[in-house]
Parts: sequence; structure tokens; C-alpha cells
Amino acid sequence: MILGYLGAGALLAGLVMGGFSALLSFWAGWREADVFIQVGRRAFYAAAAMTGIAAVLLEVALLTHDFSLAYVVEHTDLSTPTPLVAAGFYGGQEGSLLYWTLILGALGSASLVASARIGARVAAYAAGILALILSFFLFVLAVVASPFDLLSITPADGLGLNPVLRDGGMLIHPPVVLAGFASFAIPFAFACAALLAGRADAAWIRHTRRFALLAWSLQSAGLLLGMWWAYHVLGWGGYWSWDPVENVALMPWLATTAYLHSSQVQEKRGRLRNWNFGLVILAFLLVVFGTFIVRSGVVPSVHTFAISAIGPWFFAFLFACLVFSAALLAFRAGTFRVHVEPAPAVSREGGFVLQNLLLIGVIAVVFWGTILPLVSGMLGAERVVGAAYYERAAGPIFVVILALMAVGPVLPWRHVGAPFLRALRWPAAAAIVVLAGLLVAGVRSLPALLAFPLSAAGAATIFSEYGRVLLKKPWIILRKRRRYGAYLAHLGLVVVVAGVAASHFGQQEKDVTLQPGQTVTVAGYTLTYTGSDQHQLQDHTDFVAVMRFGDRTLEPSRATYAGLGGQALTHVAITTTPTADVYVVLAATGTDGSASFRVFVNPLVTWIWAGGAVIILGVVLGNVGERSAVPELARRRVPVTLPA
Amino acid sequence: MTMALRWGLPAVVIAGCVGYLIYSASGGSSEYYLTVSQLRAQAPAGDVRVAGVVQNDVQKTEGGLHVRFTEKDGTASMPVEYTGTLPDIFQPGITVVVEGRLGGDGVFHARTLLAKCPSRFSTQPYTQ
Repeated sequence: MILGYLGAGALLAGLVMGGFSALLSFWAGWREADVFIQVGRRAFYAAAAMTGIAAVLLEVALLTHDFSLAYVVEHTDLSTPTPLVAAGFYGGQEGSLLYWTLILGALGSASLVASARIGARVAAYAAGILALILSFFLFVLAVVASPFDLLSITPADGLGLNPVLRDGGMLIHPPVVLAGFASFAIPFAFACAALLAGRADAAWIRHTRRFALLAWSLQSAGLLLGMWWAYHVLGWGGYWSWDPVENVALMPWLATTAYLHSSQVQEKRGRLRNWNFGLVILAFLLVVFGTFIVRSGVVPSVHTFAISAIGPWFFAFLFACLVFSAALLAFRAGTFRVHVEPAPAVSREGGFVLQNLLLIGVIAVVFWGTILPLVSGMLGAERVVGAAYYERAAGPIFVVILALMAVGPVLPWRHVGAPFLRALRWPAAAAIVVLAGLLVAGVRSLPALLAFPLSAAGAATIFSEYGRVLLKKPWIILRKRRRYGAYLAHLGLVVVVAGVAASHFGQQEKDVTLQPGQTVTVAGYTLTYTGSDQHQLQDHTDFVAVMRFGDRTLEPSRATYAGLGGQALTHVAITTTPTADVYVVLAATGTDGSASFRVFVNPLVTWIWAGGAVIILGVVLGNVGERSAVPELARRRVPVTLPA
Repeated sequence: MTMALRWGLPAVVIAGCVGYLIYSASGGSSEYYLTVSQLRAQAPAGDVRVAGVVQNDVQKTEGGLHVRFTEKDGTASMPVEYTGTLPDIFQPGITVVVEGRLGGDGVFHARTLLAKCPSRFSTQPYTQ
């Protein structure tokens, strides 16, 4: 009870501090009043601290089973294991918003601490924008969807967590995804602040580089963890289904990926200024759009979300962000026209631009697929698209991006010469070898014949770049670790692509009903059903089928929860061989000891997880200990053309 | 070549290609998303997705891999046949989305069956 009052109070106090910080920061930034700029910044820290206190209070309420709070009742019960009780913090609508606000407050504070060096006015405006965003979330939390709402009668026990979510994935996937979303507000705030202050230089990019990288890494990890979780828990044999929830997480990732590449053009060559502003704004708007879609239930999805009153508020927020950033771009971007000598189309700049345009193309495809039910519903009959649409529309674009990945890293800035063409011999050779191998093996599907050779070419490019520097000056790798870390991330992505392509084109499945002793063969893998076992546990009955696969034992099982209206929960059994995953789902059990299975053979799925780890490793290794302060453009001599 | 042309031309070409891809792919593979009564009122040609609530008459055969049940919304209902593994939460009373077509026999032959998650996080909203 007392925790509820304290928590609600902390949120209100945070809201007041946030609003104060926003107003003061904008005013002080406009007047360039240094003292007040600092006060505004400190008010932001205070708002963030209040959010932190609210978060601690909610966590305490959860862990102490304070069932006077509706949120605690709805998401936990006494039998829920403690780690999952703690995870209840971000497990529900209100709590996940609080978690988001917490991350925004913490990272926002971190980004403001050293912000004065990029200019008092930009720093003040950035604080103001961050404070506005924080205040919006605190307002929703305090007024519309409070995690501290009290029940009039305190029940003896809570309702507990759905069994599908009683899983380790619950502990890690949601917080990573939400943190990835929340952290992109920081590049957005600084980009808008630079626009507002009329600063066209790359200072805001350098200042928020770490936050953009952090956001991208978290989003990447969040997507991969989500895929991993779906694959290991949901039991339909796949990891991606183009559901709106997945799409709205993918789109900001694509936009952030585009930004990480194009921002280098501005840092190194001073170009693409307006484009970078636009991309950062796009990425943030996509985050807000995704949050709106996910939490309002406006598009049909297999996930029905806890529908609450926050939908309209997020729509209003999205609209406000859209108008604000469009106005900023329209009124400010034109003033940054600079006259630089245009670069040739075939150059690293050109490659980045092409990659950006292609990524935006993919975003357009995914966006249209996601909102089609909304648009068609307004115009008449509601229509939806399935995986076939995304594959047909985005597939060709992905192929071009993949080809670009093989060429891009060896494209020089500004000027292309003979060394570039020579550098292409390795990827070309790799692609031809793999293509020949596939043709000999009898592969005739065009998408597969494009995906694998191009992945091989991408990998060959990275290996040849590493090989070149290792043979000549290996220490360069450490000095230019940002570049070689990025190459490592490229390599990881190519491995992911190979895994996705293999499991997509090569998946085989079979439904069978077996008596004990019978065998089934799928794609050359033979499984023997040896019998089954039944365990009566505290709150559920576990039915375990035992299958022999070589010298390994697979135990797919099915739990039935009597307390939840007989809801069943399947535990998939997966075993990994060097070339494929054997994935067994226990579909049903007969009274005569027979059991029905769905058996999948998914080639190279492990490559996806391994590649994902390499991506993250590349980003981390490339940026650990990097001093971000000295701008490279300033250090380098800019060649000046003198009249002859 | 002017800046506008250098930027605009590739952008227009790519936008055109993407537009064509979206147009051709969504024309070929979009489906109507209907409720049972809408399907009863007008059955479009081709595959459709139909949302409705599973009724209390679920019959499982072939070791549980083949299932037959009635799907209903407010007013209309239809029999559904589906072969394959069922989602964990499949049981009478939940909302499912079936994808397939209404046969001449009046039975909806589902190619896929998706269950709406009861909620992402909680079992049911708490009512006092």
C-alpha cells in the first residue's frame, strides 16, 4: 500500500522536474544563459533520479508480493520463481513503460554530462528535448497507465505469468529490446538540438556516436534474442514470421543501420548533413510508431496486447514528433547548403548512399506490409499480407544490399582506381566457386543461387582485407579498430545471412504418429521413438516422449496446466549436428502409447546465433577504449586545389 | 551534373523499383482479413484469413494432428478443418485466426491456424 503511494508520488515529482527542465532548458538555451542551462540539466538528472526511485519501489513491491498493487497481482503470483517475479517489472504494459523511462533517464543523463563541450546552446536544446520525451513518458505513467494503481481489496495471491513466458528468454529479451528502443532518443535529441541551434557540423554525431552504437547493438541483440526465443520456445520450427511486432522492431534497426553508415560520410568527408538529420529523425519516429502499433492493437497480430488507454496518447506523441521534426527539417535544413565538390558515383560515399537508399527501400516494404490492414480497412475490406509478400518485395533489395556488402568495404573514399578492381578478385572468385558448387549439388532455386555466392563474396572481402593488413602491418588492426571491428560485424552479418538462407531454403518437415519402437527419417536423419513418460508436478502434468537419435536422446514434452483451463505448453527438443538442427515437437499423445510428432530439419540455424554473436563482438571490440574526442576531419589536412 | 540530379536520379530509380516491388508483391499475396459473419456475407475468391472464437466441439483425430471445430463470432459460425500441429494455447474459448478457403462443402479448410496470445504478459485482466 505504502509502496503504491510512494511510487505514484515519485512519478509525479519526476513529471514536474521533467517539465521544469524542458521549459528552463529551451528558454536558457535561447538566451544562452549558462547558469540556467546547467539548472535545466540538473532538473533532468532529478527527473531521471525520480524515475529510478519509482523503478526501485515497483521492484520492491514485486519481490515482496505486495498484492495491494494491481500490477503485482496481474503479473506475478506466489509460485512464480523469483527471477521471473523480478522480470515482472518489464513484463507488463505499465512496467515496461517505466523500464523504458528509466533507460531514457539514465542514458539521457549520461549523454548530457559532457554535453557542454559541443556548445552551450546545442546542449541546452538537447536537454530540453530529452526532458520533453521523458516528461511525456512520465505523464503517461503518472496519469494514464500507472504501475502503482491500488486495488480496493488485497487478494491473497496474484494471477501469475502465462506459462509461455515462464522461460529464461523472458529475463533477457524484453529488457534488451526496450533499452534498444529507448536509447535511440539520444541521437534524436542531439540531432534536433543541432538543427534548432543552426549547427551543421558533425559535433552532435561524434557526441552521440556511442549512444547510436549502443542503440544499434541493443536492437541487434534484441532482434536476435527474440528470434532465438521464438525458435526454442514456440515450437513452429522457425524464428521469424513477419508479424507486426517483429516488423516494428526491424524497421528502427534498419534505419539505425543506415545512419551508422551515412554518419561516417559526414564525419570523414563533411557530406550528407541533412540526410543524417533525416535518418536519425526517421529512426526515432519508427521507434515511436512501433511503440504505438504494439501497444494500441490497431493492426491484427497474433499478439493481442493488453489494450489500454495509452494508444491515443502515443498516437498524439507520434504526431507531435512528426510535426516537430518535419518543421525542423523544412525550416532549418535548407540553411546548411554547402558547396563541396561532388564525389564520383562509384566511391565509398556513393556506396553508402546506395546502401542507405536500399535500406530505406526495405523499410518502405516492411512499413507498407505493416500498415496495409489499417489503410485497406479505412478504404473498405481489411487486407493483410503474409510472409510471401515480404519475401517477394524485400528479397530482391536484400540481394542487392548483400552484393554491395561484398564491394563496399574495398571502395575507397572519393576516387576509384585500379587497386579497387584488383581487390574485387577475391570476392568474385569466392562467389564463382560457391555458385559452381551449388550448381553441381543440384541447387536450382534462384534466390539460393544468389544468396549463398553473395554471402561468400562478402566474407571473402572481409578476409582479404584482414589478410592484407595482417601480412603488412598487423598493428594497424588495433589502431584502426573501429574499421576492423566494423568488418568483423560485416562478417557476422554475412554468416547470419547464410544461416537464414540455408534454413529458409533447406527446411524440411514431417508430421508422423509413431508407436514405441517405430522410426521416422527426415532429410536423412533417423529418429526412433522409444516410449513416453508422465510426471505429475505441482501445477502441471508433464508428458515426455523419448526419442533416440544416434547416441543422443531427445525428449520433446508437453505440459498441461490444470489451473489455466488445461492450457498446454510444448517443450521443443532440439539437437544440433554440424550441418543442421533436428527439431522435434510433441504434437499430441495417444492413449495406446503412441505419440504424434512434427519433425523439422533446419540447416545451419546455429550460424544465425553464431553470426549474431560475431556482430556484437565486432561492434564492442571496434569501440572499446576508443577516444572519441578528436575529429578526424579536423586532424587531417584537407587537400586544397590551387590555381595553376 | 547538378547536385539535385546526382542525388535525385538514383533515388528516383530506387524508389521506382521499390514501388514496383511493393505493388507487385502486395497485389499477388494480400488476403482479406474477415470475421466469420463477413465471410458468410461475401466470400471472396482465393485465400482469406478469418478470426473467430473456438467453440466447445473440438474433435481431434489422427493422433491429434487433424482437428475439426466450429469457429464463431457474434452471430455467424462455420466449421473448420485443419491438419497440423496446434498452438499450445489452442482450446475452446480462445480466438484463432485461420488462413485458407471456404470449400463447396461449407467447411473452411485451413492451411494455417494461429492462436491469438491470450495476452502477451498476463493471464487475464484482474477484475474485482
